[in-house]
Amino acid sequence: MEWLATGMEMSLMDKLGILTDAAKYDVACTSSGVERKGNGRSIGNCVSGGICHSFSSDGRCISLLKILLSNECIYDCKYCINRCSNDVPRATFTPEEVCTLTMEFYRRNYIEGLFLSSGIIQNPTFTMELIYRTIWLLRNKYHFNGYVHVKAIPGADGELIQRTGYLVDRMSVNLELPTAEGLRTLAPNKHRKNILAPMRQIQNGIHENKNELVLYRNAPRFVGGGQATQMIIGATPETDYQIINVAESLYQKFELKRVFYSAFVKVNEDKNLPALPGGPPLLREHRLYQADWLLRFYGFAASELLDESRPYFNVMLDPKEDWAVRHLEKFPVEINRASYEMLLRVPGVGVKSARRIIAARRCGNLTFADLKKIGVVLKRALYFITCSGRMMYPTKLEEDYIVRNLTTEKDRIQFGSDGMTYKQMSLFDDGSFQRPVTMQEKLLSAVGQM
Amino acid sequence: MRVYQCEDSLEGIFTAIYNTYEDNCDRMDTRISINDELFLFAEYIPVETDVDKALKVINTIKRRFGEEDYKRLCFALVSREPEKAQAVYRTVAKGLSKECRPGHLLDDLADDSVNLVFSLARATNNEYLHLMGFTRFAELQSGILYAKIGPKNDVLAFLMPHFADRFPIENFMIHDEKRNLYGVHPAGKDWYLMRGEDVELAESSLRVSDGEMEYQELFKYFCGKIVIEERRNLELQRSMLPLRFREYMAEFK
Ligand code: SF4
Repeated sequence: MEWLATGMEMSLMDKLGILTDAAKYDVACTSSGVERKGNGRSIGNCVSGGICHSFSSDGRCISLLKILLSNECIYDCKYCINRCSNDVPRATFTPEEVCTLTMEFYRRNYIEGLFLSSGIIQNPTFTMELIYRTIWLLRNKYHFNGYVHVKAIPGADGELIQRTGYLVDRMSVNLELPTAEGLRTLAPNKHRKNILAPMRQIQNGIHENKNELVLYRNAPRFVGGGQATQMIIGATPETDYQIINVAESLYQKFELKRVFYSAFVKVNEDKNLPALPGGPPLLREHRLYQADWLLRFYGFAASELLDESRPYFNVMLDPKEDWAVRHLEKFPVEINRASYEMLLRVPGVGVKSARRIIAARRCGNLTFADLKKIGVVLKRALYFITCSGRMMYPTKLEEDYIVRNLTTEKDRIQFGSDGMTYKQMSLFDDGSFQRPVTMQEKLLSAVGQM
Repeated sequence: MRVYQCEDSLEGIFTAIYNTYEDNCDRMDTRISINDELFLFAEYIPVETDVDKALKVINTIKRRFGEEDYKRLCFALVSREPEKAQAVYRTVAKGLSKECRPGHLLDDLADDSVNLVFSLARATNNEYLHLMGFTRFAELQSGILYAKIGPKNDVLAFLMPHFADRFPIENFMIHDEKRNLYGVHPAGKDWYLMRGEDVELAESSLRVSDGEMEYQELFKYFCGKIVIEERRNLELQRSMLPLRFREYMAEFK
């Protein structure tokens, strides 16, 4: 086949280098959402919380073999290292190479599975077909039973996307940029509606599959781990308010499992790209992830967090603290009586500790010492709660005072070239915050904080 | 006070719990101990580990409190904390003394024993989750996959089912070098544990296969290439992947 000809002479090591380098900006790469037992005949299973196999020196979780099938691309997205106008070394894996790497890495327990994306070779349908064939081989010839996540290529034939969906655990279509306008300036070959169409198709596919599964328990699963997407933050001028509204509607209207945010890393010089003298907007990305958690697990609506007149998140306070100090009329909350929903809104109380409070207070009234044992971060929570009618210290329920106290602590998040740490995050008290979720949640609490 | 002295194993501690019930002990004045601690005015009762008795206790625990809480008790019992046996005893005795629905044994986190069991179980669970990801196998010349681990808690017996389910068609072996314990899984068969004293491994049998170093190099290369330099953050990496695991991981060699 002619597409295989490029880079035939290249060593596997070189290809892996190029095609990993080219894939690394993709962030939607957790391995969660599917629980699948081994079948006793071939290699692989899936654990619903996902598993982190390593962490790279940027602190990101390595869970899947994240590679491009090819970094050849006919498009010219301005933010992308692989755009056709860039002069970079190009490589393309053969399907066998992808399969062998996946299998050999997997049996050594380096990875949880495969994440496969690709630049556009020839056209979207041709590219999707290559991805499909690779995964087909991996599943049917190599009998790989582990986790597979692929990108659906916008504009590809729907039938191919459908067939691929039956082979993989997760599919994602990249939104790329938060708004259609951003897309027009930076990704002239892409169109919002081409992106939303496969998203809708996958959503429908998942729905139909649920019905099939009700009728026939052994019907093949379609994208069992659900659908995800990602958008680049800070390459285009959208506000945080716009971004979380987009995320909210993706969760509500497209039933996505996850929306990922990727702080823009400037890899190309282009007059349409912002300068970003401070490096990638990591704090902003961080705040968006926090807000995303509030949307998904804490019962917040986007409109409660920000509005037209306050379109950006507070730099000093996390979004939940920010909400709390602006709604002091709702506090203090009595720990021994408050509803679960209200407990979740207290800074320093996370999903797990709220549940633990509900369980523990059935056995007797809780004191501040008990809350500490339960894992509530008291130094954040103390301004907002009472135990049996008493506050921990006499404090003022006054915005300025609380803000000052919440922000003067030494252990606030430090952002610097090597200082950015999620460790001291207050919002998600028992470790429920790290980009790739669930299993990683638990990992964080292992290092004993939050 | 009565002090039941048992061996430091799940069976030993569950047997001790059985004996306290057989002897109609007052739980407020009874202690289960896994070491030779001495108390004034205490009566010492040695416990002979008895698998049947242990099983009876296990079945009662599962029936009354459910599989999930049983698993949490086991996680607590494989930790290194010397107080674990006493904390589990207190927690179980308290649960049995009153109405306690399955899954709610560890609700009362304000109680010190319950809280200790809860924290120990969580620590073990965290290490178990870490090792599901961080364990590294190398292919030996014989084709066997071999991994070495050095966990703080005795998690090998929990790791084995995970890998047996994942690699049913592989011959593999995990060596806990801290306890000199081997988990062995012959392809297509059930796994089992062996004490190091009973395992004979010639130096040469641990030689890696011809392709092994190539894959280690490939993965190492991959781990370097996946980094976004602009986001470099060694501190975050260290908090997510504590240094003590790295000596066992191919990509850090
Ligand atoms: S389609 Fe755009 S974003 Fe994707 S590889 Fe090509 S240039 Fe990059």
